Amino acid sequence: MSRVASRAGAITRLAMLAGVLALLPACTQRTPPAPTDPRVDTFSKLPDWRGYWIAEGMLADISGYTADGPTAPMRMEFQGADAPWKPEQRAKILAMAPAMIAAANKGKATGWGYPMMMQSFAPLQFLITPEETLIMNFYRDVRHVYTDGRAHPKPDDLWPTPWGDSIGRWEGDTLIIETTAVQRPGILFVPFPLVSENARYTERIRRVSADRMESEFTIEDAETLTGPWSFKLAYVRQPALDRLIHEAFENDRVEVDDEGELLTIKPPQR
Amino acid sequence: MGARTPVRAIGTLLLLVTAALAQGHHSAAMFDDSQRVTLTGTVREFQWSNPHCYVQLVVQPAKGPAQEWSLEMGAPNYLYNLGWRPSTLKAGEQVTVKIAPLRKGKAGGLLLELTKADGRHFGGKR
Repeated sequence: MSRVASRAGAITRLAMLAGVLALLPACTQRTPPAPTDPRVDTFSKLPDWRGYWIAEGMLADISGYTADGPTAPMRMEFQGADAPWKPEQRAKILAMAPAMIAAANKGKATGWGYPMMMQSFAPLQFLITPEETLIMNFYRDVRHVYTDGRAHPKPDDLWPTPWGDSIGRWEGDTLIIETTAVQRPGILFVPFPLVSENARYTERIRRVSADRMESEFTIEDAETLTGPWSFKLAYVRQPALDRLIHEAFENDRVEVDDEGELLTIKPPQR
Repeated sequence: MGARTPVRAIGTLLLLVTAALAQGHHSAAMFDDSQRVTLTGTVREFQWSNPHCYVQLVVQPAKGPAQEWSLEMGAPNYLYNLGWRPSTLKAGEQVTVKIAPLRKGKAGGLLLELTKADGRHFGGKR
């Protein structure tokens, strides 16, 4: 190829490149902006509750109990010490207490169930999406709080479960949850609160600072309470926790002892 | 006054029930929380497992054969939140522990505090 032809080719390529570059702004201007996905827009307006949270006063030590010891008194609201019990329900609870203690002494559970999971040692994760918020702990207590506008199933199609049926709505940064159909007594050995399966639970949860969420909790139950039973809970963020390690119960060494009244630790399998 | 007595009674009874409850797995009634036993021994095994972690501790008494203790701890997630990992404790380590012993006198209990040979201390009020 002659030098003249080579030069002409280079000029042609330069001209083509200049043409393409000249067209680029026009091409860019002609590209319509991507439409905003309404779901993304909704998601962007929801609060950020990432992280792992433990109910205030319920931080477990290496023993699995608080550092005060395994039987130290704890303020657990769902005990209902201050609940507005109807007189007949109060009498029933007093009569039941010895049997409840005996059952708890040798009982085992696979989690907390609702609502006890909302004030337990187990850290909680609140996973927010536009359609639902998942609340879960490492015992695999999982609540699906539907925020897509649906109602509870009609009464004939609703049956009690340990976690109940929850629907929710956002009012600004506050999640309002309504729960019903909570199985009582729980199939999990934790028996509180001692209300009926027709009780209605309302939570108003919001994040008040980087490390704290607060919840206003109300339980209504015409069968056992004289009026609404209300109290506040708080959740403290755990910066050292970056995951939930779920319970598989693969090494459950706790069993009822020979006398059948207490639990004991069986030797390791080797 | 008459109305307040049942309120106190129900509160006391419900507290007793709570004291019998546990971390979501079992009751603490199996441990004698009024007693504290201090043991020094060699870790035979650290079980990082659900629903509880366990330390198998071999203790040599002044007289008689060595005895292996089964010491219960919280679930891995509780320990993880406190900075523990499966590698935190290794077989062969010398440790001193404070426990709430089993009520029935077997060689076991709830591990409340642990001190390593290098002086690092875990558990209890800080």
